Order: sequence, then C-alpha cells, then structure tokens
Amino acid sequence: MSCDFECLSCDAANYKLMEKARNEKIETVWDRAEAMQPQCGFGEMGLCCTNCAMGPCRIVKVSEDGPKKGICGADEDTIASRNLARSIAAGSSAHSDHGRDIAHALYHAAKNPESGYKVKNHKKLISLAKEWGIDTENQDIKDIAANVAKTALEEFGKPFGNLRFIQRAPEDRKKIWNKMNVTPRAIDRDIVEVLHSTHIGCDADYRNIMTTAIRAALSDGWGGSMIGTELSDILFGVPEPHEIEANLGVLKEDEVNLVIHGHEPTLSEAILIAVNDPELIELAKKQGAEGINLVGMCCTGNEIAMRHGIPMAGNFFQQELAIVTGAVDAMVVDVQCIMPALSQVAKCYHTKLITTSPKAKIPGAIHMQFNEEEAIESAKRIVKEAVMNFKNRQGNIFIPQEKSKGFVGYSNEAIINALDKVTNSTAHPSGTVKPLADAIKSGVLRGAVAIVGCNNHKVLHDKGHVELAKELIKNDVLVVTTGCGAYACIKAGLMSKEARGLCGKGLATVCELVNIPPVLHMGSCVDISRILLLLSELAKFMNVDIKDLPVAGAAPEWMSEKALSIGTYVVASGVYTMLGVAPQVTGSDNLTRFLTNDVKDIYGGYFDIESDPKEAAKKIISCIEEKRKILSI
Amino acid sequence: MTLFDIIFTGSEQALEACKSVLEQTIKEYGENEKVSFPNTAYSLPTIYAATGQKINTLADLKGAIGVIESLIVKEQNLEKALNAGLATAVAAEVIEACKYVGGKNPYEEPCVGFIPDTVIRSLGVPLVTGDIPGVAVVIGEAPTAEDAAKVIKDYQSKGILVTLVGKIIDQAIESKVKMGLEFRVVPLGYDVTSVTHIVSFAIRAALIFGNIKPGDLPELLKYTKERVPAFVNALGPLSELVVSAGAGAIALGFPVITDQDVQEVPMNLIVQKDYDKLVQTSLEARGIKIKITEIPIPVGFAPAFEGERVRKDE
Ligand code: SF4
Ligand code: SF4
Repeated sequence: MSCDFECLSCDAANYKLMEKARNEKIETVWDRAEAMQPQCGFGEMGLCCTNCAMGPCRIVKVSEDGPKKGICGADEDTIASRNLARSIAAGSSAHSDHGRDIAHALYHAAKNPESGYKVKNHKKLISLAKEWGIDTENQDIKDIAANVAKTALEEFGKPFGNLRFIQRAPEDRKKIWNKMNVTPRAIDRDIVEVLHSTHIGCDADYRNIMTTAIRAALSDGWGGSMIGTELSDILFGVPEPHEIEANLGVLKEDEVNLVIHGHEPTLSEAILIAVNDPELIELAKKQGAEGINLVGMCCTGNEIAMRHGIPMAGNFFQQELAIVTGAVDAMVVDVQCIMPALSQVAKCYHTKLITTSPKAKIPGAIHMQFNEEEAIESAKRIVKEAVMNFKNRQGNIFIPQEKSKGFVGYSNEAIINALDKVTNSTAHPSGTVKPLADAIKSGVLRGAVAIVGCNNHKVLHDKGHVELAKELIKNDVLVVTTGCGAYACIKAGLMSKEARGLCGKGLATVCELVNIPPVLHMGSCVDISRILLLLSELAKFMNVDIKDLPVAGAAPEWMSEKALSIGTYVVASGVYTMLGVAPQVTGSDNLTRFLTNDVKDIYGGYFDIESDPKEAAKKIISCIEEKRKILSI
Repeated sequence: MTLFDIIFTGSEQALEACKSVLEQTIKEYGENEKVSFPNTAYSLPTIYAATGQKINTLADLKGAIGVIESLIVKEQNLEKALNAGLATAVAAEVIEACKYVGGKNPYEEPCVGFIPDTVIRSLGVPLVTGDIPGVAVVIGEAPTAEDAAKVIKDYQSKGILVTLVGKIIDQAIESKVKMGLEFRVVPLGYDVTSVTHIVSFAIRAALIFGNIKPGDLPELLKYTKERVPAFVNALGPLSELVVSAGAGAIALGFPVITDQDVQEVPMNLIVQKDYDKLVQTSLEARGIKIKITEIPIPVGFAPAFEGERVRKDE
C-alpha cells in the first residue's frame, strides 16, 4: 500500500489508521508535530531558563550581540546543565515513584487480604529478604513480604547510608562511584538534591550539577527501577518465555476491547484478574460481545505480556491510532506517557478514556480511582465500565489486520534457565552466565546491545529501533530490548524464530542452541534494571568491570525524561550509549563535550548521537570490537 | 590471540603445508600424474562433496588450492572461522592424497589411513540402527597410557567406533587395547592430517546414505550434523593446526572435547580435564544415548567383541 503516511511510520497498521484519522479529521501526534515546526532553537539547545521570575532568560549564540548570561548571571553551561539535571531528576522520579507503588502493593498483599494481591514468587522474596538481612527463619511468608516491602520503602528516604542494591554492582564500579561521590543514598533525597541545587543562585558549576544528576539517575537504575522490577516479580511472578501476538491487529471486532495503557503492573494485574471474572464475562455476553479482550500498550502492556502473554497492541505513537480503529471500548490508563490528546480523540468515538491514578488526571477523561487496598474490586468497577460501553460502538470500525508473533518473557532468570540448556552437566556449573560469557569470549557472539526507549516524531516511527536491531543481529550482536523499542521489534518479527534467518552465523547458532529469538524482550522501562544486573553478573563472571564488556546501549527514538535518566545511569554504569535524537544540551559546548567525551574517562561509558540507524550500528559495532581488542578476545 | 585467530593461523599453516607438499609431489611425478584414494567412487571425497568436482590429476589438485584459499577469510566471526576449519580439512585431504600418489600405500599396520567405501557401506546399517551409537575421533596424546586405554575401552564397551590419530595409537598399543575394525578401534595414522580419513568417512556416509548432491555444502553439513553421531576428543597440547582442524569438525556438526585450556564454545568446544568424565561429557555433548544398559562383567561386553575369536593363549 502506498500513501502519504509511509514516510511517517514504517508500520502498515499505522499508516492505514493515519489515513482513517485524516479522513475523520482526527488530529494525531504527527499533525501536532508538524504544526510545531520550526521548534524553538533556544529550547532545542537547552539555553532557555525559567527557573525564577526574573526570567525567562535565554542565551543567544547565533549573533555576537545577544545576551550571553541570564539575569542572575548563569551562563550557557549552567543553564543547559540545570535543565538537563532537572529532566533527569524528573525521569528518576517517575520510575522511582512507580517502584514505591509496587512496594506499597507488596505491603498490602502481605497485610491486607482485601487487596486481592498475593505474593506469587516466594523463592525470589526469600532470596531478596536474605540479601537485605531480613529474618526468614521460621517466619510467616506474609511477614517476610511486609518486611521486604517496608525495607524497600525505606530506601526512598532513609537518613543514612547508601542504597542496598548498589552492593550488586561489580567492585570496580562501586569504587568509581564512591570516588566520584555519586553513590546513591536515598532515592527521594538524591532527586530532591537536584531540584535544590538547580534553584536560582545555587549550583552554577556544570560538572557539579551533572554529578548530582548522575547520582539521581543511579538512584533510579539501581534504586527505584530495580525495586520496581524485583518487587513486581515477587508479587506477580518472574517472567518466563512464551509466544504472543503484537500490533493493533490484536483488537477484536466482536469482543469488548479494553486497552490498558501506562506503566504500573499493580493496575494491569488487577485488571487482568477482573477481565477473567465469570460475572463480567457473562455481562459482556449480555451486551452482545463474545468476550472481553484485554490488550496492552506501552510499558504496562510490556509487563502483562511478559508475565501473562497478553497481546501487545502498540507503542507510544500508536495510542491515538488504537482509538481511531473505533473498536476500543475503554482505554484504561494510570501514569506516564499517556498523551493528554487521548481525551480529544476518544471524544470522537465511543471510547471511554478512564484515568485511575491521582497522579495523572486528564481533563475530559473519566476518573475512576484505583486503590491498591482493594485492587480487584476497583479493577472490576473499571472493567464493568468498559463492558457496558460495548453497545455504544458506532459504525465506522476498522481494525487493521496487521499483527505478528514473537517470544517474550526473558527475565534474567529465564535467560539463565535457557543458558543452562547449553551447559554440559559433567563439565560445567549450572545456573550461571558462563555460556553467555563463553559465547562472547570465543567470538561466536561479538557482543550485546540493549535497544530501549520511546518513539519520537524526529525519527521515522519504529524504524530507528528496527533497522538498528537488524544491522546488529546481522553482525552477530545479540539484542535485548525493553519499552517501546520492544514493541517495534516484535511487530517487525524480530522476536520470532524465523528472525534467525536475519542473523549472522554466530548469533543464529546461539539462537538455535539456546532456543531463543535474536532479540530478547526483557520487559518494561523499569526492567532495564534487569539489564544492569545481567551486565553485573557477566562482568563479575569475567572478572572485569561493566565498562570492559563488549556491550552498548541505544535509545534510537527516545523522547521522555525517563529515557534521559536511563541513559544517564547506563552511561554512569559504564556503558557506551547511542542516542538517535540529540538531547537539548547542544547550546553548551562544555556540557556536550562532558557527556560525549569527558565522562568516558570517568565512568567508561559515554553518550554518542547518531540518527541514521545504519551509521549508529557501525559506530556501536566498532565500539564493541574495540572493547574486544582491549580484552584480547 | 583470539580463538578465531588461532583457527585462522592453523588454517594458514595447513594451506602452506599443503602447497609445499603438492609442489614437492608435482616435482617428483609431474602434473599429469593420477591422484586417487584406493577403493572409492568418490574421488577425493571432501573436495568432491564440497565442490562437486572430481580430482583426477595433480594438476586438478592445484585447483583445489584456490578452494582452500577462498575459505580462509580472516574476519572475526563464526561463519569465517568455520569456513577456515573446512579449509584445513580440505588441505589435509590434499596432503593425504599426495601420500597415495604413484600407487603407493603409505600406511602400514596398525594404521589404516584411507577407509574404503565398502567399510562405510557395511557400517552404515549399524550406524542407522544405533548399534554403533557414535563415532569417537581421538586425536593427540593422553597423559598416560592407562588414561588412554581407559577412555578407549569405555567407548569400546559402549559400542562406539573409536578412531585414533597421533601418539594415542602407541598408547593404545602399549596398554594392549585390541584394535581393528572388528573391535571398533581404528588407528588412522600418526600425522594430524590423517584425521581427514574419518572426515571423508562422514562425508561419504552423507553422500551414500543421505543422497546429498555433491557440491551442496549446506545440505552436506546439515546431514553430518544431524545424522552422523561423531565427536572429537583432542587430547594433549593443541597446536594451532589441531584447533583449526577442530573448527572443521565443528563445521560438520561434531563437538570437540579437549583436556586442554582453551576458550570454550557452548555445546561445541568443551573442556573436560577429568579423564573419568571425558566419555560422559563427550556423549552428552553429541547427544548420544546408549541403548543397552552396561552390564558390569569383567570382560568388555559389547558388540565390539562380536568378531573376536578367543585365541589359544588367552
Ligand atoms: S535562574 Fe537566572 S537564568 Fe534562570 S530565569 Fe532566573 S535569572 Fe534567568
Ligand atoms: S519507552 Fe518511552 S514512550 Fe515508551 S513507555 Fe517507556 S518512556 Fe514511555
């Protein structure tokens, strides 16, 4: 099919729906992006400051005679680094607050039978309790869970010491962090400190501002996100591999379509239970539907896909298009990456947009507060709302038939299980990353790259993810992915067994032996903490630091502040990180040099920027080969 | 040196050796001299199976050098490394073929050298039925003759066909291992290159029983991997040449298990230093399950002894 929209998205489901949206005069993210052009150069370069009421101030670089300092005297380095630091802090806050909610949910599961939550994975709970020095001998599992939850909650604001999960990092990494004074202490405190020091008249030293920001980012990756992931696994189960369907073709004409969109599995897990409630299914049938079809979007979709095989309807840029099908009876959202525009789109159809979190309300949406204390009950109320809306569907329904299949569910535990299959029981230990280390050291695998992050109109939708992944696997580089990158990859078929045909001989061999696809879905954005742990394990096993490993990170289509926090903690953990979109820092040469160069000598990792996926792949591969040379492997 | 570099180095050494042996042979016999292995319809089986071309004369053999050269591309990836391993296998076949030029029989007791087609045909049935559950290629030298005997006899008792290359042959003789096809212990030769005779065994099995078309290399490699249950035990110090020959084995789908420190490759190149576990490790690596449970009687009780006649002095 050829139409005007091919140049905006490389996904056929999308451009068919973009056509429909245009015919029905629905405005989408692409229209708004176009209307925004040209975007403001000051903001783009990070040179606009609104941190006090003397402002706004801007630094003019294009002409000699424009202002070179803000009214308070802040120069371009100060302003750009303060803006970046605040973004990083916002991203860290988002992930960390998510982690906090999971910890609360675990606490309710332990203390409050009304909640409907139950601790699923006792083994992981007990091992975390032991890691944290919590008494497990002869203890009731509920008490252990409550103590783990409380200890996790204390990580957010404890007065002394450092984050507990830091201990999981390789020794050399911890030394670097200590030396640089970026070892995170308490999650909220580290974030607050960024806000404090970027207040007018506080920190003006861009390097020092970045130190504070890096600490806040590390408190995300090794704190908030890691708590979110670990406790989610304990509460809802550790993901295991299974095959699922993805893309907007998973919507069903004859069933109640409930799209769950947002981030926190506390809500999606409860909704999942509710949609399986016989009474509600019966009710759906009474309304003339065949059943209730739950599908996921963005990270909360990743969470339930990983754990329960719920179809992945679409990523960030597909949220409006899902409604444009006319077949979504309710879009239930919680927090993060939910476009306020949704309420406008939903108005044009029968779709009910239901917000559930007091942290994220949208004018025009229906707000039905979700309470963790009585999770299942609130979920049932929400599902009922969706079911009752089925009969209000209007004529113009179009569900594109595009969908593809792929394997998801690659938690570290699942990866180690898979690796055990290629060990020799008389020659090798089981339960370690040795086979992965051997595959890398022998050169069969050249390295591994994490492709993560969002969608952004500055990059052709999904192409940044998909083309980069294809180039890498062709060159025997294993790809792991999370977030909206994972959607792009599964939709493009890269998580299927057939994708082995796109791999170099080395990776194809590994995939066949281990029985995995060449692109491994490791979960949601907070699940990038899984990748940190996998890298730590690998580094410890190989007796090196993370910075020595032939690995890289990439965020080809990133857009959110969370992505900035992720990129920053990944770099500070020692990983070379490729961005497909330039961050708003280019107005400060010093800050730009710091991020793309100076940090390399300090942390080992650094940022690189390349929007062309083929070029990005080349750079990443050459970085990987360089690391191999240094290790002489 | 990276594992792949070791393989490339070994393959280049094989290529050099092959060139000089061929040059020497041509000097002696002239380009038009015939080249063939005895009692085979498959010319030089490795080259024939890989390229579809039959080699008749030394002049033809010069053409094979180009094949070897084209297989050695020193890029750091598995595909190129496995190709380099195949290059070593082809080079070894050329060197071995030169030994037979002029109608000579270069091998003498106990070594058998080239294995004739009739033997392969007769072993085909027991291989298919699983009466011969596997083919062990033991190369090099065990730390002691006892270790060697222990490993060989263990395979023998399981009905596995054992082929020997290198000093291990002497160790087997020293510990009075019964040898010969009827005992399923077959010493090939002392030079590393004589390993080619078991490679050509596997390849002809693919041509004969798998109906693989000569020249269809991918299908050939698929057949040997899936249907020929061979594996390699590389014992004692490993030269680059042996490692690159090992890569050739891996290309055919045969795992290599060694007692030396090398960089392991999951499922394909495995280190096992414990001689009591070597056999187990090898069988697991090749996915070989022994059909009959072992009967612990003092004399090895297995099909390998079927052909044995009890001599007077025993
Ligand atoms: S903090 Fe300084 S640069 Fe920013 S708005 Fe206020 S005066 Fe202007
Ligand atoms: S990847 Fe980016 S857009 Fe997608 S859910 Fe995560 S933060 Fe939001």
